[in-house]
Amino acid sequence: MKTALFFCQVEDGGGVNVASVAKYAANLPDVERVEQLGVRPVIDPEAVGAQLRAAGVGRVVIAGDQPGFFKPAFTRAMELAKADPAQVWLASFAPVREGAEVGNERAKAAVACACRGVPFHLAASPATTPVQPATLVIGGGVAGIQAALEIADAGRLVHLVERTGTIGGHMAMFDKTFPTLDCAACILTPKMVSVGQHPLINLMTMSEVVSVAGGPGAWKVGILKHTRRVDASSCVACAICSQVCPVSVSSEFDAGIADRKAAYIAFPQAVPNVYQIDAEHCTWVQSGGQKCGACAKKCPKGCIDLDARDETIEVEVGNIVIATGYEIFDAKRIERYGYGTLPNVLTALEFERLTNASGPTGGKIVTRTKQHNKRKKVDEWVFAPDGAAPRRVAIIHCVGSRDKAYNAYCSRVCCMYSLKFAHLVKEKLPDAACYEFYIDMRAFGKGYEEFAERIKEEGTFVVRGRTATVCQVGEEMVVRGEDILGDRLLEFPVDMVILAVGLTPAAGTGELAKMLGVPRDRDGWFSELDYNGSPTDTEQGGIFVAGMCQGPKDIPDAVAQASAVAAGALRSIAAGRVIGSLSSLSLSEIEARAKSLANPQ
Amino acid sequence: MAIRVNPSLIDDLERYGAEDVQKCYHCGNCSAVCPHADESYVFPRRSMRSLQMGLERKLETGLEPWLCYYCGQCSEQCPREAEPGETMMSLRRWLTARYDVTGISGLFYRSPKAEIAAMLGLALLTGLGFAAWGSTHGQLGIYEGEGAFLNSHYVHLFDWAMAAVLTTLIVANSARMWWLTIVKGTPAPVPLSLYLKHAWRVPWQFFTQQRYKDCGEPRPWMLHLGLMLSYFTMFVLIMFFLGTVQSDTWNPVHVLGYLATIGLVGASAFMIQGRLKKTEAQHKHSHESDWIFLAQLLYVSVTGILQHVLHRAGLNEAANITYVLHMMGVVPMLVLEVPFSKWAHLAYRPLALYFAELRREAIGQVEAPPLPAGARPVKAA
Repeated sequence: MKTALFFCQVEDGGGVNVASVAKYAANLPDVERVEQLGVRPVIDPEAVGAQLRAAGVGRVVIAGDQPGFFKPAFTRAMELAKADPAQVWLASFAPVREGAEVGNERAKAAVACACRGVPFHLAASPATTPVQPATLVIGGGVAGIQAALEIADAGRLVHLVERTGTIGGHMAMFDKTFPTLDCAACILTPKMVSVGQHPLINLMTMSEVVSVAGGPGAWKVGILKHTRRVDASSCVACAICSQVCPVSVSSEFDAGIADRKAAYIAFPQAVPNVYQIDAEHCTWVQSGGQKCGACAKKCPKGCIDLDARDETIEVEVGNIVIATGYEIFDAKRIERYGYGTLPNVLTALEFERLTNASGPTGGKIVTRTKQHNKRKKVDEWVFAPDGAAPRRVAIIHCVGSRDKAYNAYCSRVCCMYSLKFAHLVKEKLPDAACYEFYIDMRAFGKGYEEFAERIKEEGTFVVRGRTATVCQVGEEMVVRGEDILGDRLLEFPVDMVILAVGLTPAAGTGELAKMLGVPRDRDGWFSELDYNGSPTDTEQGGIFVAGMCQGPKDIPDAVAQASAVAAGALRSIAAGRVIGSLSSLSLSEIEARAKSLANPQ
Repeated sequence: MAIRVNPSLIDDLERYGAEDVQKCYHCGNCSAVCPHADESYVFPRRSMRSLQMGLERKLETGLEPWLCYYCGQCSEQCPREAEPGETMMSLRRWLTARYDVTGISGLFYRSPKAEIAAMLGLALLTGLGFAAWGSTHGQLGIYEGEGAFLNSHYVHLFDWAMAAVLTTLIVANSARMWWLTIVKGTPAPVPLSLYLKHAWRVPWQFFTQQRYKDCGEPRPWMLHLGLMLSYFTMFVLIMFFLGTVQSDTWNPVHVLGYLATIGLVGASAFMIQGRLKKTEAQHKHSHESDWIFLAQLLYVSVTGILQHVLHRAGLNEAANITYVLHMMGVVPMLVLEVPFSKWAHLAYRPLALYFAELRREAIGQVEAPPLPAGARPVKAA
């Protein structure tokens, strides 16, 4: 069948070299014409239809990053050409961040299949291999916890690797969840305890994946277990080590708004419920065993070994679940919001800890007060439980999101958590004025729009218009913004500003992606195999993505995705075989398979 | 009241340089960061909106584009790269065309080729005219006095004729601007007392450009003020003191002329450098009219200096030829560029700031929805 191939891009670039793919496609059998129409071409169905008819074309292939975008125009053109409009085929190549060579070969294969009228996933179907029954879950946030529990509850062994000293991830830091205003810890901690007690979950905290070898069904993964310097089996979390430790550093769990010791536990409900030594700040470790050592001397159980060493182990697993989560956008990058220079400009995560009953102020929303640090002999701005309550609070949406200078994408959860913050402010400080500055209110989930309406009814001023600056004018902190719906320019004197920071892939995502051979999209998130059809699979056989690491999403979506991943892993374990990696197929193999599927003799 | 919408307005504006208006998603960052936006005049976002909606009448009677001095902060911070600063610049070009009663301005802005052709045509005509007139009434070897190739007395008369044409055009166009912005665009009557009360603003803005200074960075303001004052000084010297300008070196008028020349060459060189380097937001995009403006300015200044130097060196023939070349730049600049192109903002901007105050006071307090508790409107500086 005579085939015409059109390259139409929605965005430029994206790592695929369109010219080289076009050159390759020109030599495919039956391909009569190849046209590169560039980015967002305007397609006139009548003109194209006339050309197709004159050339006697029976099949049209649209190739590009989002070819479906152009399908209606070409379908109409085929109708006008009196050809079969069902013969419009799409060859999609998703943008790739790294591994352009792989991306190019994949694009060629997609074009080769479409030109023969064969669905890509039929031709590019890797062979299956036997699968090991154990599964590795990387990341112990809510997604990793959920996936691990689902698989272990089905009776299969799970190795759960977590970089920090406790599982729980970001969700453990949150106060309430939206839109139900449930207590986040009440949902998460029972799951955490189940993980800690599960006989089929081998929990490895303070551990990192350092090497990956083998292949689908039999991955050999090297795991570096940083030493905790506290014996997990005998520690009873009595806190004496922490009490005697002289070193104070800012607490990661409290998002930096409070301090912890170098001998510490992230939070009282941590799993495993064991103290840990922060080697980077421990006086003993840093002085090479010359100074301090107070915790080891005072420990009533004698379970602290300050000289313990890291170890590397290897596990062999059939499936791997990536659940590495995210980081928040660094608000210091946008200087005009004053984060890092104005004491009462907070990130969302800092506010989350401030308003949390387990936070440094016991959940009281206060502004920072200046205190003299006698040891360091400097004035510091700290959150003290007796600090002054803010009378006016501004919440600024889209910090670092939907902005071409930072992240062009929408981080998806910020509108909703900002509304939740407004509710918490109004609940705890009924007389305080609370302003939300937004661009578009993205209340997309079940019950979300109702939640947004409820917040407005509670008296929060929801102002359409992103503010531009937060600045100190004399004694006042002033937020200046356009009130678009009120058609005016306003200034808001405020006592506290909360920046609704966006989300970015977790640190180390790039290295992990390289080790696992899983591509990332242009924003750095892990790429799923197919956005609609296989949103939790990756192109590596037996490697899945769950939760934020695949892209911003809220807790219900992350949990649902984690359960789906567990089903995927269990499917292969039950069948005894796992589908291989897409990269195991060469272009010529896919071509040959497409050819045999197109001409079944 | 019915509102007419021009759906192709945004396409039309593209020819004046506004290319990215459709990218705007109305976050309001630009208005919030603008040092000149206040409770009465909120821009650039509102202008972007009017453009997207095709509200031609609203834009035509608006004063906002003239209140912007293109510091570029809005464009630098725009999350959509929609270039609000360049949109305001394009609207100024579009308004210049709207105020122009002859329609020549719109032709020039939309078709730079037509502008260049007109400039070259007039230059050629000027050159031929002066050459013909000079060779029949004087000798190429004589620069001044009896038998001079271009007798300064007649040149002066010619200057005055040109100034008369120029004044007529500027007055007519300014009157149209007044008609559009005050008579049609201000919903309240403007009493005579208000006109008198604020009249001082026109010369004040013209000579100090105070508002540009409020943009923040002093350098662009100083360059702009330097260029404008040099130009104005040169214009006054030529119109009223042409005889004295060409007298001895240390005459005060003469010294002033030298200073103005340095100002013209220096400022235009810096501006060309800025537009070539494209580091500041306001210089990233250059419409053809911006280049024509600067090229012409530099040409006129350099030929003026050259003519002077050659004359002082006693090379009368060369000086006379350069004089003709100089006039070939001056005449198109004064007759075409000043009333119809970028130079026109020299009149429109101080007038707009004056009109803006008139409008603000004439309208007074308007009814608005209640403010969110604790918020206050941004007052004018």
